[in-house]
Amino acid sequence: MNVEDIVKTLDGKLVAGGDNGRTVGAVVANDLMSDVLLNDADDILLLTSLASDQAIRTANIVGAMCVVVHNAKPLPQTMCQVADTLGIPLVSSPLSKYESCVRVHDFLAKE
Amino acid sequence: MMDYSPTILTGGDTRSDDQIMEAHGRAARRVSGSGLPGAEDSPLVIMELLQRLRVRDVMRARDIISVVRSDSLRFAQNLMKRNNISGVPVVENRRLFGIVSVNDIIRALEGGWIHDTCQQHMATNLVVLEEDMPLAFAIKYFENYTFGRFPVLNKERDLVGIVSQRDVMRAIMKELTDELARLEGRTPPPGAADTAAKGEGALPYYSMRQFAVVHNDLTNAGKAANEIKRMLKEAGVDKKTIRRVAVAAYELEINICIHSVGGAITFILDTEKATIVAKDSGPGIKDVEWACRDGTSTANDWIRSMGFGAGMGLANSKRVADTFDITSKIPTGTTVMCTFNLAETKPQ
Repeated sequence: MNVEDIVKTLDGKLVAGGDNGRTVGAVVANDLMSDVLLNDADDILLLTSLASDQAIRTANIVGAMCVVVHNAKPLPQTMCQVADTLGIPLVSSPLSKYESCVRVHDFLAKE
Repeated sequence: MMDYSPTILTGGDTRSDDQIMEAHGRAARRVSGSGLPGAEDSPLVIMELLQRLRVRDVMRARDIISVVRSDSLRFAQNLMKRNNISGVPVVENRRLFGIVSVNDIIRALEGGWIHDTCQQHMATNLVVLEEDMPLAFAIKYFENYTFGRFPVLNKERDLVGIVSQRDVMRAIMKELTDELARLEGRTPPPGAADTAAKGEGALPYYSMRQFAVVHNDLTNAGKAANEIKRMLKEAGVDKKTIRRVAVAAYELEINICIHSVGGAITFILDTEKATIVAKDSGPGIKDVEWACRDGTSTANDWIRSMGFGAGMGLANSKRVADTFDITSKIPTGTTVMCTFNLAETKPQ
């Protein structure tokens, strides 16, 4: 599952960071950044409701391959700038986090 | 950042601000703008210094030369002459009533009222500093108001000291000297620097960076950790170690940002290990053991809404580090030091 697949599956839009060509290694759905930092997996797809710079900075620390923000939350301009600077794809999705989890699971199960 | 607006004590003085400034001994010069004077271009170590040091750290608290309201201006004049100072506060029972400056004296000599009481001619519309303000604000005041010295009050509004530009300069010089001595103690021996340039990806012999962390500035929090990650990557450190160091740096940086009045992250990298020192200026942790447990937090709802405050910060840092050391004292602050061995991977 690459960034293009994520955008399609989650009815999303790639708003910053560009497509880095990486594929999903693990999925983390969380709004608490300390919990995200606990994870040891590589190439994390971070599903979150946190629309802030910190979601991107946390993603960078754990080497996440993509960040998806849910419920069509407005994304601060600085968040998009940080995503562009760090080269982390930032996707906005109208879905709830729960719905995203289900769809991502279904996609990965088929792979 | 805490909001410190200029504190002006107003008494019964009917003179204009400019007159009062003139009365303090110099023509008024106001400078617009906010933030630290020149801080944008200052090295981080100086920015951190200006935030860490408080007015109380640099002020003169003993032997404050003062007069009482009923003293004559002549008495104040002689006091100033004897002590070679250009102004004297009017104080009774630690309460500050006004300031008599050398200009008040000159005016009194010219006008023939040198035998009047200080109360009749002292400046009462005063700009003062508070003892717990960061030193950066004192410097800003000197820049904005051009007075040679400011009275310093405590929370109870008692006069607790006087701070002059000279006091500020002396404190900064002392701190910088200490910092340089500390850095020199860590400087590699002559010739050793050659080992730093052994091609791309080679670990530098020694490098150090310091990052100021401002209270509640969540917009910028995390920048230090991201920069540390970049440095480690550039130095060719293995991916797993980079992640461990970055996680600790990030957690500690966020901790300073949300739980302290501000501080700094210092990152030291040599051939054998990476070290993070996270130091804040207070208020300190009451129960360190409790704070290091998973899920314990004093964070408020606002912090939680920003994705932090789960009480994992110290525990996470401890988990990923090879050594973890924490000391804390109320109200002076907390210092956390984490080290990471670069030669071997930490067993999971």
